[in-house]
Amino acid sequence: MISVNGVTKAFITGSSEVRAVDNVDLDVQPGEFILILGRSGSGKSTLLGMLAGLIRPTAGTIRIKGVDISTLTDNQIAELRAQEIGFVFQFSGLIPTVTALENVMIPTLFHPGGPGNRTKALELLDQVGVAGRADAYPKTLSSGEMKRVAIARALINKPSILIADEPTGDLDDATESEIMALFRQLNDEGITIIMVTHNPDLIPCATRTYSMSHGRMARNPDSPLCRRVPETRYVNKDHP
Amino acid sequence: MSASLPTFSFFTLVGRNLQNRPYRNIAVVLSFAIVAGTLFSALYLIGGARQSLENGLDRMGADIMVVPEKYAAASQSVILTGEPSTFFFNDTGFEQIAGLPGVTKASPEIYVATLFGQSCCAAGVQIIAIDPIRDFTIATWLKENPGVAMGKDDIIVGSAISGDIGSDLLFYGHTFHVVGRLARTGMGLDMAVFTRIEDAYTMADESGVKAVQKLTIPPRMVSAVLVRIDPGVSPAAISDEIKQRVPGTRTLTPNGLLNAISGQLGAITWFLYGSAITVTAVSIPLMGSISAMVAYERRKEIAVIQALGAPRSFVMRLMLAESFSLAIIGALAGIGAATIILVGFQDFIAFTLKIPFTIPSLFTIALYGGSALLLSIIIGVIASLYPAYLINHSEPYETMRKGES
Repeated sequence: MISVNGVTKAFITGSSEVRAVDNVDLDVQPGEFILILGRSGSGKSTLLGMLAGLIRPTAGTIRIKGVDISTLTDNQIAELRAQEIGFVFQFSGLIPTVTALENVMIPTLFHPGGPGNRTKALELLDQVGVAGRADAYPKTLSSGEMKRVAIARALINKPSILIADEPTGDLDDATESEIMALFRQLNDEGITIIMVTHNPDLIPCATRTYSMSHGRMARNPDSPLCRRVPETRYVNKDHP
Repeated sequence: MSASLPTFSFFTLVGRNLQNRPYRNIAVVLSFAIVAGTLFSALYLIGGARQSLENGLDRMGADIMVVPEKYAAASQSVILTGEPSTFFFNDTGFEQIAGLPGVTKASPEIYVATLFGQSCCAAGVQIIAIDPIRDFTIATWLKENPGVAMGKDDIIVGSAISGDIGSDLLFYGHTFHVVGRLARTGMGLDMAVFTRIEDAYTMADESGVKAVQKLTIPPRMVSAVLVRIDPGVSPAAISDEIKQRVPGTRTLTPNGLLNAISGQLGAITWFLYGSAITVTAVSIPLMGSISAMVAYERRKEIAVIQALGAPRSFVMRLMLAESFSLAIIGALAGIGAATIILVGFQDFIAFTLKIPFTIPSLFTIALYGGSALLLSIIIGVIASLYPAYLINHSEPYETMRKGES
């Protein structure tokens, strides 16, 4: 589903080159839940940005469903993101001027299928447990509610891949557990998830884990805590 | 929930963004309102003045107006802006003018400024006493009661004078009877009252006992002579002849009046257009700065939208649509407010600026409004284009991470 080969992202600062991501390889199969662990500044978020096509790599290739995204134009990458990738940010990233329900519907505005209707968005809000807050504006939502709305928004275009950048970073333990339960549920329903975090407590949610440090990524030994990818798991484009 | 619930569209997002950022949007709308209102006012006033001038000169009816030389400016004011004045010259001049070869008709007039505080009018009124037999100008201007002949103590009033036909008006203690009303010109003649010369003399004679201030109209004097010349005869040649035969006089022609008022209008035109250009010139960088600040404030939001899959064209459309909408709302508000002020205070404005004025046609007003609207939209688009381009071409992921809170 996702194939990363020798991907590097270098930034020039003054006269020196800093490799935020250095020669990373990664293969992700459909239905996997990949957890990338690392401290702040280790390059994990930059890697996620490249996987989502938001950052162009300095070297290496990234293939999503067989397509080398470096060959795509900005508009084609945007279209790929709109159709195949749901994104959950560390911060909620909700648009403050529209309601929770309308936030969920925003990605439908640039999906080739055209604007979605409110019923679908309400169903998603119901699925993530905040249907009762559909008409609330983001400033009136709690952190956990905002995160749930953001997850619903990431799912509205029925993506096959969900990318999450430290989605529980600013949440209390109870809310973090609830959100991770939601991610596990989505993974059980067939969505491939790639998540970065600095919290090793989340390892039990993943099917495979990696660690990043100074831009280099290494696969961690399989942990008995990890989940297994069922043989029957498949990518359900009709999700949810 | 029903599947027939309304969809969330691009325009809903634009509307919500405008609706839920009231403070900065009000500031932008106000800026656009000032630009559009100023430009519209300039166009409206200049257009109204030109139209009034054309109307007034068309109705003047005379090819030449002869007035005392030292009262030439006062005579122009009587015609153009309605500032009342009293002046005379010896009527032997009239006889000489009437007898000149090339002169078809000549009609004497006596100008008398009324006292302030007349029942009909807030300001002083110009009484123009005419000889109904010789006059060739007034009858064609009648809007109400056309074809009426002026009898004893009858008056025909300008469009701005209060008093219905059939009612009485009192000047210098003398009662006059309104028998006709002239069509509006937007010029000073709208504030004039026309009576017969003999009634003006009677009014002056009675004023010593009936009025608070005695009026004196010296015998065998006139204030102006209106002249119509034979077809093909040069007004300039007749004017030169008049000035030679009747020393101490000045001749005014419609073209001369047009030039005089064009000069006056020119200064106002410069002022009005200058104001509009200045406001526009200041507004572009101002709007640009506001747009840049707004774009900077929204950079994280825009980056999120891009990360969710929005192409750059969507972001560009979103920002331009918002700016476009604010420009239209602001311009319409500015044009609307300017229209209310200009129509409500047009007489005061025209008096203050010392220009003749009449309301332009609806088509012309729509044209001016459309021009002001178009300019506002262009300014709005120009001002928001560069900030929108900049923010649209920044790295969304970097922007998001820098903006994390």
